[in-house]
Amino acid sequence: MSDSDVKEPEATTEDGDAKGDARDNESPAPKGDAPGEGAKADAAKADAAKDSAKSDAPPKSGPYRPTPGKPLIEMSNVTKTFHKGKEPLTVLDGLTLTIAEGAFEALMGPSGSGKSTLLNLIAGLDRPTSGTARVAGHNLEKMSDGELAKFRAQNIGFIFQAYNLLPVLTAVENVELPLLLTKVPSGERRKRAETALRVVGLSDRMGHYPRQLSGGQEQRVAIARAIVNDPTILVCDEPTGDLDRKSADDILALLTKLNQDFKKTILMVTHDPSAAERATTTRHLNKGRLD
Amino acid sequence: MVPVKYNIRSLVVRKTTTAAAGLGLALVVFVFASVMMLGNGIRKTMGRAASPNVAVILRKGSDAELSSGISNESLNLVKAAAGQVSASGKGEVVGEVVVVILLDKIGTDGMSNVTVRGVPDGALGFRSTAKVIAGRAPKPGAADEVMVGNGIRGRFKGLEIGESFELKKNRSVKVVGVFSDDGSSNESEVWGDLNAVQSAFGRDGYVSSARVKLDSPGKIDALKAQIESDRQLGLIVMRESVFFEKQSEMTATFMTALGVLIAVFFSLGAMIGAMITMHAQVASRQREIGTLRALGFSKLSILTSFLLESLFLALVGGAIGAGASLAMSFVKITLLNASSWSEIVFTFDPTPAIIVRSMILAGVMGVIGGFLPALRAARVSPVEAMRA
Ligand SMILES: Nc1ncnc2c1ncn2[C@@H]1O[C@H](COP(=O)(O)OP(=O)(O)OP(=O)(O)O)[C@@H](O)[C@H]1O
Ligand SMILES: [Mg+2]
Repeated sequence: MSDSDVKEPEATTEDGDAKGDARDNESPAPKGDAPGEGAKADAAKADAAKDSAKSDAPPKSGPYRPTPGKPLIEMSNVTKTFHKGKEPLTVLDGLTLTIAEGAFEALMGPSGSGKSTLLNLIAGLDRPTSGTARVAGHNLEKMSDGELAKFRAQNIGFIFQAYNLLPVLTAVENVELPLLLTKVPSGERRKRAETALRVVGLSDRMGHYPRQLSGGQEQRVAIARAIVNDPTILVCDEPTGDLDRKSADDILALLTKLNQDFKKTILMVTHDPSAAERATTTRHLNKGRLD
Repeated sequence: MVPVKYNIRSLVVRKTTTAAAGLGLALVVFVFASVMMLGNGIRKTMGRAASPNVAVILRKGSDAELSSGISNESLNLVKAAAGQVSASGKGEVVGEVVVVILLDKIGTDGMSNVTVRGVPDGALGFRSTAKVIAGRAPKPGAADEVMVGNGIRGRFKGLEIGESFELKKNRSVKVVGVFSDDGSSNESEVWGDLNAVQSAFGRDGYVSSARVKLDSPGKIDALKAQIESDRQLGLIVMRESVFFEKQSEMTATFMTALGVLIAVFFSLGAMIGAMITMHAQVASRQREIGTLRALGFSKLSILTSFLLESLFLALVGGAIGAGASLAMSFVKITLLNASSWSEIVFTFDPTPAIIVRSMILAGVMGVIGGFLPALRAARVSPVEAMRA
């Protein structure tokens, strides 16, 4: 059992909604005549997104519902200090940052400047030493490990430089993983995972294991895994760092599409200036501060 | 929940370490199940000859026939009592003498004890399960003829049909037949003429035990009351099933204790094996664990996942061990039975309960052995795991 399921009183209504979902998806072409495969998938995906948004809205946790005029990410006066060696190492020093919903931001900076550290704080993988990290309506600095896990499951999609697919699971099984943390029934899980793989253009690679895929394909599976739960924010740590130019461009185009068509807020760490160009804003981190 | 196929496939991918740990677990379960089966086989073998409406009578203070003695006068009183208790007026009574002789074993240099039972005419008829399966029964009153139980046939010199051996110096007897008795411990005995055995061993006028067959099991209590109330007689009456239990108690208890001892000590080794394997699994899957944690799987679900993995490993190992132990039911083993000091042939006797207990042992080993590694997996910090 994970601590991110059960506990919610809306369990029964959610189940009902989920069944409704399944029926929706079975009826062909829910939004008029879909011209192509991609568009149909997009429509189904958008449907699923809309349904899951209305199905559960528990007060404390759950998918983010925007408050008009409020930024999605608000880091204020954040400090992060590591105590590993003899000397404590302060990586982030009084950093303040706000990111609006729907943004596509690139984060650049020299190696060791704290980009990954900042990303981890925003994604709820770690807590700041001091300061506040308010993300998608949650004050992360006050949350327990269990609450953070739940927060990540519901709000964050991760895309890593090293893809981090589970080697013993097939593409579609990898993509299904985040859905195991929801109440989506198993038949529906498979459908949603397949839809997500279609969105990233891998409908013909569902049953393949990561070792049977190219790097670019692995990263696309990882992106499908990141979006399958319909999270608010996509957090990408050098998503094209291990890829050749062509694959990198494909991935960046995909991210742009997710930002523009699916309204995902994207935060991307990169060393690659041409990748940063795809973003709407680029910030530079230097010695623990943004300039 | 992390899907179980993730754990199973991860075990399959790392074939060698998985197989090593699985075999260790299998071995422990195999030994445990076998010893339990043997303990069970001993109880069954000893008890198999028991008939519900037969009472065994021994001298007070004896648990075994070898140490008991009943005079002919006492035997007659027993016969009278049996007649009174049984409705038909005649309870069937046999008085038998039991001694032990040393015979040369075939195949090894050593000698071993063999139980010789002197039986009156009609002893075969008294035991409904006993029957001659080769040759013939000794002629009534023939002092120089014996038959041997199927269990020891061919395992001692002179115990084949047509062969002879010395009951006592200068008292040669000839084997004329082989009898079976439903696989019971009787099959490990030599049966000869009562008078011949009595005189050869200087036991004239005495039998070791009396057996009384009554019309119904319920009448045994009445017989017991009547015979035991006569203090002068100094005899005890017990149901044949109780008698056999007493014969096997020591050996069977020893076997069960041995089984438990093995379970405790050997399983320590197997658990350490499972622990090492699971530690290796956790160490080489840090990044995968970190990824799962990043995706939002809780510490508890990681702990559960690795515990299940270890449990699965142990149950597969256990199933192999338990399965292999079933093959032991084709094996016969010779043990010195403590109460008669002679060799008895036992079989390994599997029961569903033994298999269930073995699998529980495997499961417990898996959970205990897997606990620390699973705890370590649950403690993996996603941030650290991703940096590695
Ligand atoms: N968990 C940790 N424990 C100790 N030190 C850490 C930890 N995480 C990061 N650091 C240190 O903090 C500094 C910033 O690390 P971070 O990974 O955020 O840099 P980065 O900007 O992402 O660099 P890169 O471009 O190389 O990925 C580094 O000096 C690193 O060694
Ligand atoms: Mg980094």
